[in-house]
Amino acid sequence: MSSNKIISVQNLSKYFGQTLAVDDASFDLGQGEIFGFLGPNGAGKTTAIRMMLDLLRPDAGEVHIFGKSLKNNSIEIRQHCGYLPGEFTAFKNLTANEFLKMATTLRNSATEGLQPLIERFDLSRHEMDRKIKYLSHGMIQKIGIIQAFFHNPDLLILDEPTTGLDPLMQDRFYELLFEEQKKGKTIFISSHNLAEIEKLCSKLAIIRKGKIISVKSMENLKADLGLIIQLSFERPLDNLNIAGVRIVANDQLKATLILEGEITKVLEQLSLLPISDINISKPGLEEVFRNFYKTDTDEEL
Amino acid sequence: MKNFSYARYILKANRGSILFGMIFISLLQFLILFLVDTFDTEVMFAAILSQMPENLKIFLNDSFFSMLTFDGAAAFGFNHPMVLVLLVFIAINIPVKHIAHEIENGSMELLLSLPVKREWVITNLWLTGVAILFIVILASLVGSLLAIYTFHSISIGISLKLLMISTNLWLLCVLIMSYTLLFTTLGKRSSFSANLAAMFTLAFYMVFFVSQLWDAIEFTGAMNIFNYYQPQDIMMGRESFVVDSIVLFFASIVCLLVAVWQFKRRDIP
Repeated sequence: MSSNKIISVQNLSKYFGQTLAVDDASFDLGQGEIFGFLGPNGAGKTTAIRMMLDLLRPDAGEVHIFGKSLKNNSIEIRQHCGYLPGEFTAFKNLTANEFLKMATTLRNSATEGLQPLIERFDLSRHEMDRKIKYLSHGMIQKIGIIQAFFHNPDLLILDEPTTGLDPLMQDRFYELLFEEQKKGKTIFISSHNLAEIEKLCSKLAIIRKGKIISVKSMENLKADLGLIIQLSFERPLDNLNIAGVRIVANDQLKATLILEGEITKVLEQLSLLPISDINISKPGLEEVFRNFYKTDTDEEL
Repeated sequence: MKNFSYARYILKANRGSILFGMIFISLLQFLILFLVDTFDTEVMFAAILSQMPENLKIFLNDSFFSMLTFDGAAAFGFNHPMVLVLLVFIAINIPVKHIAHEIENGSMELLLSLPVKREWVITNLWLTGVAILFIVILASLVGSLLAIYTFHSISIGISLKLLMISTNLWLLCVLIMSYTLLFTTLGKRSSFSANLAAMFTLAFYMVFFVSQLWDAIEFTGAMNIFNYYQPQDIMMGRESFVVDSIVLFFASIVCLLVAVWQFKRRDIP
């Protein structure tokens, strides 16, 4: 992995009327990284992505891609980008073949990249000759993936890439991503799917109400949270009061705690309680995510 | 190649309305001229007119009287409300479908994520729309000439006049398409853009019609697009064809330039 900055987003802000959709967002993305962009619905993920593609014009801030200002080099930058929109529903009156042919022409790109991808995603000749509007959601998503990858782009921007794909196709898609990463391609993924982000991404930005609240490597993000302690009690406990932990769930018979102090001191306190079972584990991305959103119970994941 | 690819897509997406427009308008022209040839309309209408009150004759004006001749009927075919409605529908539908609607359904987002300039998209759409309107109006011209050849006697004079009328009609439709294109770049929903363009066109038509009867609003003529489309005048030799065509053409170019400027600066949501 190189330290070359492929994407550099600096102090990006965007208003829709009075609503601040993206608030002073900044992050960098190095060559060969798979970067996850995580946030609940309406957090500003798609707005940020659209600003990175010059579809939306920022009210403040700048985007540099491949070391060039997006504002002045938009066409050149897009020539080397592959983009999969969140809901790929475009050009429904064309057949899949016609659409991909149009995409190759508009990109001034060779068509050689298409066939291996069509075969990889098991699209038959019959399906390729059908109008997009008659294809299933999963098929349409495969067409979207193919149009994003066929021209061998240096940067891939993927918004919810596995929506509608069955588990087998998801695995083929993950294989494709890792192959592209090995070739030195940089991949930016926005997703709700925590398991997918955890599996794919080495670095992660978490966005909440338009503001980037964390940009860290996956390891650091998990390490910051502390260990998860899950307890089961022999009898209901009215008052659970332990120093050095944060109680995230407690129904008197079971409790989930996050370690914030020294583990030895916490274990000493726990030894005095009527515990029937104890499980101590490193946090997964789901715990990390829920921890960031613990104050926004109304936000939907 | 790049230009043709997008144009091919637009042509394919509109082939239904193109074919319907070509067939319907050319058949209508053919039918009008067939009817005029079958009946002795001149005598029939003259008898009706002789019994008509003077005020009503004024209301009907020149355009109606000119229709009583075979040549006049040929010109009337290009000004028939059904022809105008169909052509206006096609002219409004192209930009609404390919700008406003494609922004709503996500196609524009994908198109502009490719390495294409926004001005390229607008200009190509406009040029393809101009070609579509040309094809449809050419079909109606062919229908008229064929009917004249079949039922009457065709001459260079009448062929030239019909060519001028169809060019005039084509430029009028191009202008309607151009201001619709401008409306679609303003960022409103497709239904809003379509309604606004239709209301504008209807308002122009109504004001033009009323201004011919009511002197007080005659001054609106210069600002009215229908003032620059006068098929009966061309047929009767009262030509302002060149001036009308120049005005319609330049107004279309102005609308296109403003549409390009607006589309370049707007957000694609």
